[in-house]
Amino acid sequence: MGKVKKMFRYDNAGVLFVLPAFIYMLVFVGYPIIRNIILSFQDVSAGNLVRGVKNFIFFDNYLELFQDSVFRTSLFNTLRYTVLCLVFQFVIGFALALFFNRRFSFAKPVRGILLVPWMIPVTVTALMFKLLFATDIGVINYILRSFHLINKNIEWLTTPQTAMFALICANVWIGIPFNMILISTGLTTIPKELYESASIDGANKTQTFFSITLPLLKPTIESVLILGFIYTFKVYDLVYVMTSGGPVNSTHMLSTYSYKLSFEMFKYSKGSAVANVLLVILLVVGVFYIKATTKGEEA
Amino acid sequence: MDEEKKLTRKKNIIYSAVSVLFLCILLFPLYWALITSLKTEQEIFQNPPTFYPHVLNLKSYAAQVETGDFNMFRSFANSFLISLGATGIAVVLAVPASYGIAKYRFRARKLMLLSFLVTQMLPVSVLLTPMFIMFKNMHVYNTWIAAVLADATIGIPFSVLILKNYFASIPKDLEEAAYLDGCNKFTAFVRILIPIAKPGVMVCAIFSFLYAWGDLAYGMTFILDQEKRPITAGIFNFMGQYGTKWSYLTAFAVVTIIPVALIFIFMQKYIVSGMTSGAVKG
Repeated sequence: MGKVKKMFRYDNAGVLFVLPAFIYMLVFVGYPIIRNIILSFQDVSAGNLVRGVKNFIFFDNYLELFQDSVFRTSLFNTLRYTVLCLVFQFVIGFALALFFNRRFSFAKPVRGILLVPWMIPVTVTALMFKLLFATDIGVINYILRSFHLINKNIEWLTTPQTAMFALICANVWIGIPFNMILISTGLTTIPKELYESASIDGANKTQTFFSITLPLLKPTIESVLILGFIYTFKVYDLVYVMTSGGPVNSTHMLSTYSYKLSFEMFKYSKGSAVANVLLVILLVVGVFYIKATTKGEEA
Repeated sequence: MDEEKKLTRKKNIIYSAVSVLFLCILLFPLYWALITSLKTEQEIFQNPPTFYPHVLNLKSYAAQVETGDFNMFRSFANSFLISLGATGIAVVLAVPASYGIAKYRFRARKLMLLSFLVTQMLPVSVLLTPMFIMFKNMHVYNTWIAAVLADATIGIPFSVLILKNYFASIPKDLEEAAYLDGCNKFTAFVRILIPIAKPGVMVCAIFSFLYAWGDLAYGMTFILDQEKRPITAGIFNFMGQYGTKWSYLTAFAVVTIIPVALIFIFMQKYIVSGMTSGAVKG
């Protein structure tokens, strides 16, 4: 009978509900972002951080960064770390999602418990992996030794390459549940009938996977990877607690290097510049995320 | 939903057994931390390692109550206070905000929604120094208030994005019925809509709490004194000073996990619903 019921109304009163939260974020996030940009164009150290004259040196901090080998290492590390983490946590998470999609008695409860690693405070995760990868008492060295794969303990966290490997392992451990649960949810949205008609047509499991499961999961996969990228790329606590960027700056990420510059070396402006580089990269990727999440939104 | 035909009995057993195997492998780090906290230092350094504590040692927990410097139960209380404060702010601000965004159209609505989305992906590094300056000027530096104010900025955008979907799914008729019964915009929101969106509010509260509980950067940067710092910063400091005292360190870790474990056991359905909403950190 004609009139479509609107789910909402045009009413500027709505802004009153949003305003308190918005103002809060403006004060405690919006203002700091601007402040951080200004800071990165100045020359601020411990002496003039809170009070005092701050000289503008414009792009000098940024130019300095590109001469800085630790910065280049950090940038490269962050990219390498993010890509490797994404690959492993996605593949393992996907495999587990497919496995738990079968109807066996333990499927739901066990999948539920597997979410635990995601919830553990990252500091604790870092501590646990530090213990597992410890040189003398570490259980990983013990296992490798008992299978005669090594005859001398590996100094995981004090060797550049292996330290990065340990960091990736810890991050993958956190990321698996996240990938698994999102892909699991995606799988349940695929209509059963498609699989039935495929099997009537004589398609085998591999064919169904590549011609039905993967294409229909595309939106889920996109959002899992984009979100995964954003949250892995800005990693901070895990690296700071496990290696603090060491040995000899070899595992620094943009976030940890920024922290080191600001709060250990008191080069606040240079630290801010590093943080802004991180921010810009995230925002570029974030545009894809925002496009994906607001696709279904009304105009 | 899942595979149409039920699995045979034999397959069911095999799959279930394999799933338990996966579980054991993935949760091994947690088990290892737990048993390490219950071993003596001597047993921890034993070779080959023991896979359960041969001598049960509760000293790592008891000692922390007595010693002053790294009292983990005080850190625990600090964390609890900070996390509750941040959760409170996040819920109080995000519930009306998400309602406004879901149910009204007004100028700047899109901009506001977008800004909540963007804050979700900000790295802490961008905020640390300016917040540090701001908290110093506000005279809240080195107090728990600084950590609360900072932690709430993680919970608010997440909560707004989750809850707006809950509010959007509530039919308009319910609100209109409330207006006929004499409610105004505000009372309809408080009496009718919030109770219906309660599961969503729970999700927001739980995740805001978990984010604040897991925070290290803010607690460590804005609070200087060890006795005021949250438990995550306590662990980090302790590591710096007594690097290899693994029994104490793992005891610290186990205590930090307790609230998380309780939340998981009693509120698992909210966790799943929060994680699958797609706005969560990975």
